[in-house]
This record gives sequence, structure tokens and C-alpha cells, in this order.
Amino acid sequence: MNVIEISNLTKSYGKSRGIIDVSFEVSQGEIFGFIGPNGAGKSTTIRTLLGLIHGSSGSAKIFGKDVHEFGPEIRKEIGYLPSEVFYYDGMKVIDLLKYSASFYKKNCNARINYLAGIMDLDLTKKIDDLSYGNKKKVGIVQGLLHEPKLIILDEPTSGLDPLMQQKFFDLLKEENKKGATILFSSHILGEVQRLCDRVAIIKEGRIIKLEKISTLKENNYKKFKLETKSILNKSFFELPGVSKIEINGNTIDFLFKGNLNIIMKKLSEIELTNIWIHEPDLEEIFMHYYAKEV
Amino acid sequence: MNIFLHELRSFRKSVIIWTLSLIALTVVFFALFPALTKDISETKNLILGFPEAIRNGMGLVLDHFGTILGYYAFPINFVILVGAIQAMNMGTSVVSKEVRDKTADFLLTKPVTRIKILTGKILAVLASLVLTNGIYLFVATLMARFVSKEPFSFKLFFMISISLFFVQLIFMSLGILLSVIIPKIKSAVPISLGTVFFFYFINFLCTTASDDVLRYLTPFKYFDPTYIVEHGSYEPVFILISIAIILVSITASYLIYERKDVHAV
Repeated sequence: MNVIEISNLTKSYGKSRGIIDVSFEVSQGEIFGFIGPNGAGKSTTIRTLLGLIHGSSGSAKIFGKDVHEFGPEIRKEIGYLPSEVFYYDGMKVIDLLKYSASFYKKNCNARINYLAGIMDLDLTKKIDDLSYGNKKKVGIVQGLLHEPKLIILDEPTSGLDPLMQQKFFDLLKEENKKGATILFSSHILGEVQRLCDRVAIIKEGRIIKLEKISTLKENNYKKFKLETKSILNKSFFELPGVSKIEINGNTIDFLFKGNLNIIMKKLSEIELTNIWIHEPDLEEIFMHYYAKEV
Repeated sequence: MNIFLHELRSFRKSVIIWTLSLIALTVVFFALFPALTKDISETKNLILGFPEAIRNGMGLVLDHFGTILGYYAFPINFVILVGAIQAMNMGTSVVSKEVRDKTADFLLTKPVTRIKILTGKILAVLASLVLTNGIYLFVATLMARFVSKEPFSFKLFFMISISLFFVQLIFMSLGILLSVIIPKIKSAVPISLGTVFFFYFINFLCTTASDDVLRYLTPFKYFDPTYIVEHGSYEPVFILISIAIILVSITASYLIYERKDVHAV
């Protein structure tokens, strides 16, 4: 079952771009990454899903229901954490959380205490007195206190220290195990790689790639670094699939994409003193992919 | 209900401050009554020294100045001015403070319709205004009883007093409408002060003639205390205009708010 279905969604803001023809689906229980540089349209897409803004054309459905027609009903089961959290000043953390809980018609007290315990959040403090990171924690508790079936995160990790980030990710994985679907938007590829099953890459308002993380990595090149006894000529490596050859004395770097046996056979012809074969990380794939697009 | 209570709580401080200012204003004005009416002819001469426009604008009506109800036209004028600023401030901040404090994301991603949100907020403003009016009415009646040597009609006194509430409703509605139209309001005060004083100054341009077209342009002239005292009723046409302004503004606000895009900050 698809939890999120977006088809041909377009939002134009008059002069500025917004998003163009965005389509993707997120199925039940998936952790879906949504990546792209700042201003690519991640937030616009997410805000449409939440009913905060209205798309110009196309449709967006959550749990099979139109996000505007059934907005309030859908939002019962959505937990949202924005990139920057702002709350009513002058309120205590616990009052804000209780106000938030009052919208869901179920008792969330135990859950609030549980989440606050994990995130190490002092419930008795005033929100004005909290640091940026602590406000973020309030946002996390606020977004998860009603045990939503869909968790939407818009660049959620800024302001959290690595330890808290880890706890937060563990929390998300736990929710995911219980059946929650997660839409995770970020421009930090490392965290998406750590958490997500599939990603959509958005650029200048358009989805340019939709892929499993594993495929994204599989389909890509490997990085070779060799040390040889004798200095080799560049032409030796000119095979299909080899690119970016760099020769620095005895060390040779290149990228390879294709049948590994071919390159291994070729390498067996030369006298090696050392060899490194790297799996590129997502960041490099992304940059690689991205550079081609520009 | 939770939105209503939350909003009401957030208005707490502002209601206290505004109500106290209205009370202070009332106490001072009514305390002046014995002194001003002790030598009524001298006071009338003094008042005649003001240009007619000022007299009209400030509710200084000579014919009845010696009686508490006739005198009341003078203080109620300022009470309504202050009350209008309060109402418009509250009306304007209803939606704009969510944008300004960037809390709109929090509220609008909750499982409630925008209609319910706006309703909860408007009801909270209404409750605050009712509270202000109740306290004002109590203090004003007390003061009037205290300073007036002769008995007076409480019905008429009540009718004049409550015109505060009607004018407040008008400005509240205008405030709400502006707050959903203007994308980002940094502070409600300049907008409400500007609007209220604009209409208050039109009020000075009006003449006493009942057929003056200018009267239709400013809510400050819709509930004329002299007319109320003389006829024991409000002027029906202005009641209708008031209701029309309120209904149109509120309806438009709901329609606009329902369709409004809430942008990231």
C-alpha cells in the first residue's frame, strides 16, 4: 500500500519556480529519503503534503486520500518536524506538548515522558529559555507524541549534537519497526544513506532520480587506486568504463564502471605494489550525478 | 475548544492592560463631571470656544451637557477610541501573530480545519471583548451613580455604554480581515493605530446633520449618544451597516484563510 502518492504536482509562485511535475510514491513501512540542495523544492513538496500550501496542479494523496479534501483526517496520523522549530514563547515545554497532544484525542502523557526521557529534555523549562538544540528536541517529542503512522521530517538534524542525532535516528528506526512510514528530507547525504531505503533526488523543482539506495550504489563506479613498480602510460588504461585517469608517478587513480573481470584481467598484466578499491559514498555519487546534470 | 482556551490565555495580559486603561479613563472623566457642571453656563462658554468640528468629534453636545447622560457622550467618545484600538489590535494579531512568531506550522499541521482554528481564535477575541465590556460597564455605572445628583435611565446608559462593544466588533472584524490579507505583519500596533485614527479623524470632519454622507464612513459616528438619549434607540440604518461590515469581513476572512498558502519562514 502506498502511504504517499504524489503525481504531477506543480506549484508555481508567480515569478519564482516552486516545483514542477513532481511524482513519487512512498509505500507503507518505507524510510524514504528526499534529497536535494537548498531551494530545490523539498520544503514546497512537504508543505503541500501537509496542506500548508496548495498545489497549482497535479495531486497529492496520503493514505489514499487527497491532502486538501481530507486534510484534518489525514493529519491525525502525521507527525511533522520542521527544519526550524518555533513555539509559543512564555509557555513551558510540558504545556506546549500538552497543547499539542490535545489535538489528537488520546492520552499522550506516558509517551511524552518516554520521549522526553530518551531525548534528555527538561519538561519544566520555559521554551524561551531553551537553546536551539533543545527546542529541536521539543519538536521531535511534539512530532512523535501521538505515535503517527507517517513521520515527515524536513531537515531534522540541524542543531542536534551527534549523540542526540544517534538517539533520534534510533527512535525513528524503532517507530519504523512498529510500522511507521518515514519521509526524510535532507541535504546531508550521509544521514540519508544511514537511514533510508529509497531516495528521490530533487533539483530545481524537478525529481531527477528515484532510486533504491542500494541500486544507486551498485549501479555506480568503483574507485581504483594503484601503486605500480614501473611508471605506466595513460593509454594502458584506456578501456571502456574507465574514466578520470590520474597518474602521479607510481600511483594511478581512476574510476571504473562495468564488468569487474575485465578490469581485473587488465590489472593482472601489471606489477602492482599496492591496490585500493573503494565503494564511493553517496555524496560522491550524488556530486557525480549532479555534475552531469549541470 | 483547546484553541479557544489557548488563545484566551495568550490574551490574558493584554485584556488586563486594556481594561485597566479603560477603567482609568472612565474614572477620570466621570470625576470631572461635578466640577464641569457646577457652573454649567461657564463650562458651556468654554466649550463654545472650541471649533464646531472639535466639539462634534469629541462628543461635546451643549444641549444636554448638564445631565449625566448628555455628558456621557464626551467620555464614551474616548472610551470607544481606546476600545477600538484594543479590538483592532486583537483582531489583527489573531492570525498575524502565528506568522510573526512562526508558529503557524505547528498549528496548521494539527488535525483541525482552518475554519475551526479561525473560529477558536475569533471566539477568544470575542470573549476578551465581552469581559472588557462587562468590567467597563460595571465601573462606568458605578461612577455615574456616584457623581450624578439626579437619577438617570440605566437603559439609556447601558445602550450608550454598549456601543463600545459594537464599534469594537467592527474594528475586530476589520483587523481579522487585514491579518489574513496582508502576508506578513511585523506588529499589529501600527496597523490598528493607523486604521483606527484614520476613521477617528473622519469623525472630526462630520457635521451634526443626520444626513451627512461622511457619517457612513466612520464607525465612530454609527452610535450617536445624543440620538440614543433623544430617541431611546439606535439608528436602524447604522445597525444594518455595522452588521453588514462585520458579516462581510468575517466571511471574507474565513474564505481567504481557508485558501491561504502558509509559506516557510
